[in-house]
Amino acid sequence: MKPFQISHTERGAVQLVQVGGALDMHSFPRLESELRRLFNHGHHRLVLDCEGLDYIGSAGLGALIGFAKEAREHEGDLRLLNVPPHIYRIIELLGFTKVLQVHTEETAAIASFQPK
Amino acid sequence: MTAKGISVGSTADEVFVRVIGRGTFQNSQPLRLYATEMIGRGYRQFTVDVGECSTMDSTFLGVLAGIGLRLSQQPGTGAVNIVNAETRHRELLVTLGLDRLFVIQLRNGSVAPVAAGVQWHMLPESDVNTVGTPASKEDTARLMLDAHRDLIRADERNLPKFDELTNQLTRRLNKPSSPEEAGHP
Repeated sequence: MKPFQISHTERGAVQLVQVGGALDMHSFPRLESELRRLFNHGHHRLVLDCEGLDYIGSAGLGALIGFAKEAREHEGDLRLLNVPPHIYRIIELLGFTKVLQVHTEETAAIASFQPK
Repeated sequence: MTAKGISVGSTADEVFVRVIGRGTFQNSQPLRLYATEMIGRGYRQFTVDVGECSTMDSTFLGVLAGIGLRLSQQPGTGAVNIVNAETRHRELLVTLGLDRLFVIQLRNGSVAPVAAGVQWHMLPESDVNTVGTPASKEDTARLMLDAHRDLIRADERNLPKFDELTNQLTRRLNKPSSPEEAGHP
């Protein structure tokens, strides 16, 4: 498995967090730390670009829901982008697509935060 | 190349489990079923060889915790021994408080042979690279819920880590599946 990688860029008021490799219990603290850092800087509108993600563990998925809920408490959200099919199947299997918005295009994911 | 998956074998009084590759929610069910059967047959000693295990997710560790908890409730001296563990395996187990439930033997250099002479066989559906989408979503959600509840039973400090996951899985299991998933645009 590829090692976990994380980077982030700004898209206006939205933070685009790109992750790749394996998101398991060894690597999850790195994502947790980065999301926590963004929250601490007042950034609660986040898009997690999962295009390079090979694997995500069950605990990681649960924690993403926790971050999404926390972001919503601050009028933001954590939304997923470019989820690979094998990972989407897991998210769907667990019923997590009911609580995590999933997008297939970056522009749509960013625009989803704009008031309608 | 050694086949990936979960191999098992037994002697008269001990069960051996060898994990090659990943131990995840995708191959935890056959292990849970096998362990349940063997505990029912009176086995109280489980040795789990993780020397060739690349990673374990929390569901897999929760299934192991469930085995340890069940053994601790049985008469006699039951134990789960984790052998050939690397430092990162041990760190994971300590993070989840499972070092209090398992006996952990660190790997010393190369992988030490375990249970020489035991007839091993591969558990069906235990290679995560070939396992497809599980047949039953409910069974998978139930497996994950039970596993994470067992992690919390094993160490209450795990509650904040898995609270969201167990709550969501509980909601998932209390509602019938719908063909439309609201979150996907």
